[in-house]
Amino acid sequence: MITLSAVTKLYNEGRPNEVQALRGIDLTLAPGALSVLKGPSGSGKSTLLSIVACMARPTSGRVTLNGETVSGLPERFQTELRRTTFGFIFQRFNLIRGLSVLENVILPAAPTGEPRARVIERAMERLAALDLTPRALTPVEHLSGGEAQRAAIARALINDPPILIADEPTANLDTALTERFLDILRAERAAGRTLIVTSHDPRIWGAEGVDAVIELRDGRITHEITGGVA
Amino acid sequence: MSTWLNRQRALADFTLAAMGRRRIKNAALVMVYALVVFLLASAMFFAASLRHEMHQVLAEAPELTVQRLIMGRQDLIDAAAAERIGAIRGVSQARPRLWGYYYDRISGANYTVMVPDDPDLMPPPGEVMIGEGIPRARGFTWDGAPLFLSRHLGDLQRFNVARTFGTDSALMSADLILMTEADFRAFFGIPEGLFTDVVARVRNPNELGKIVEKAAIANPDLRFVTRDDIERTYQKLFDWREGLMAALAGAAVLAFVIFAAEKASGLSAEESREIGILKAIGWDTRDVIAMKLWEGGLVSFGAFLIGTIAAYAHVFVFKGALFAPVLRGWAVIYPDFTLTPQIDGLQILTLGLLTTLPYVAATVVPIWRRASADPDAVMR
Ligand SMILES: Nc1ncnc2c1ncn2[C@@H]1O[C@H](COP(=O)(O)OP(=O)(O)OP(=O)(O)O)[C@@H](O)[C@H]1O
Ligand SMILES: [Mg+2]
Repeated sequence: MITLSAVTKLYNEGRPNEVQALRGIDLTLAPGALSVLKGPSGSGKSTLLSIVACMARPTSGRVTLNGETVSGLPERFQTELRRTTFGFIFQRFNLIRGLSVLENVILPAAPTGEPRARVIERAMERLAALDLTPRALTPVEHLSGGEAQRAAIARALINDPPILIADEPTANLDTALTERFLDILRAERAAGRTLIVTSHDPRIWGAEGVDAVIELRDGRITHEITGGVA
Repeated sequence: MSTWLNRQRALADFTLAAMGRRRIKNAALVMVYALVVFLLASAMFFAASLRHEMHQVLAEAPELTVQRLIMGRQDLIDAAAAERIGAIRGVSQARPRLWGYYYDRISGANYTVMVPDDPDLMPPPGEVMIGEGIPRARGFTWDGAPLFLSRHLGDLQRFNVARTFGTDSALMSADLILMTEADFRAFFGIPEGLFTDVVARVRNPNELGKIVEKAAIANPDLRFVTRDDIERTYQKLFDWREGLMAALAGAAVLAFVIFAAEKASGLSAEESREIGILKAIGWDTRDVIAMKLWEGGLVSFGAFLIGTIAAYAHVFVFKGALFAPVLRGWAVIYPDFTLTPQIDGLQILTLGLLTTLPYVAATVVPIWRRASADPDAVMR
């Protein structure tokens, strides 16, 4: 369970270009649920995700994970949470260019010191499940949009994190690929993973299997539906 | 422990894959860097060998060598002069020597031919004692093969080999041929009563300078070479070497500063972004830095190895070919100037540290700030 209480986020604090990206967010995200954050561009969705995933610190307020405060943890522990607890699929995938799909997928496992053979085996299984086996050795810049997204999913899951986070995952996907992505989400949800997704795509927040939809506007929660949407 | 190894292995793998993306640029970097190391290491090997050579020569050099000069060039000296030298106050044991160089057209090598002073080393007439380098140069296939020496086309002198010196004897004797005085005179056509030079001792080494000064005035046709003079000649080489070292070190530092500046400022947007990604997916600042250590280490250690090995080959296999112009004058004294491999472990270590550490530091330091920043910049 993830809770946010009175979370605010200021960018460029105290300067003329100060931005209030989040203004007093109180939110509870249920474990094992598929939660969708929606809202117009600039409403603070990505900012909220980065705070939940321990990639940025809130300016004020508190974030807890399973009852423990994580927002104030030293960098070292936040890094560990990013490595072990959160899998993150970025808005622009953020694969490392010039490296192959497989090399990208195993990256989050490098600091763990797990035997390489085992990591690769796990990566290949995941790639097989995502129909990427023939692309394993392809440099990522040669992938299509859908393939790049699945490579990003495989990378996010390589350390088997209990929480999977996706920022605007279907922005560049056609209907068939969006359906495919939803299937993957539902499978991960069935496997017990907590899922948090941002989207302004109605195909996502209207989809079957979505447990909660939270609407943001100007850094505030304006609407929240929980307990099964579809 | 194995976790640590696995982690290092994974980081190194990533580094290699990442460096492989700019193969040409990285290869060029290693080569330029290796060239700097090569120059420094060459000078270092060369200096170490010269110093070794100097000790060898000085250990065997007589206190005082007297040569006869005619029109500024060394000429044969007669027995009367030897007596004259022996009569100089303070000089004892003046002894004329017969020695010379023989260029062997067959092997292309220069041998030192000498009439030995030590009766134990005197071969029977018509025979020679030779250094172990000569059978090797000649490709002798069996023990006791005679040595044929040719002074000009159509000439062939046969000498039986009375004895071959082993490899354990001094380095100077590898190319040595010892023969009797009669054989020497006959072979080189030196008339009776003439010698190559005269070696002498002084009773009180502290007075050597004074004795030589006086003797030189009294005997303007003679040149007195002291052990100090030989040392000074070497010292000149060292001075040159030090100048070269300073110049090279300057060049190396300059090159390094350029590298470092390039590195420090040139943390490209791409590289920054990649570090952000790595941090976002759970790499610690420590991991990013370890990865950069691998990068700096691989580049600089690779350059160090290539440069050092090339320098070793240059100095000891190709006889310091690049330094040849400076050695030309030297070759008059020692025509066959071969360097024996001398490696000063401490110097190598110093060179290794001097070449790798600053580069590794220049690779890692600019990363530090970026790697400890919040990773959320990669969100947009
Ligand atoms: N690093 C930053 N520095 C300054 N302002 C920022 C920064 N990151 C985000 N912002 C601002 O904060 C606000 C919220 O941004 P955020 O990226 O969270 O929006 P979003 O809901 O994800 O939008 P989109 O749907 O377009 O992705 C925006 O006004 C944005 O310009
Ligand atoms: Mg966004």
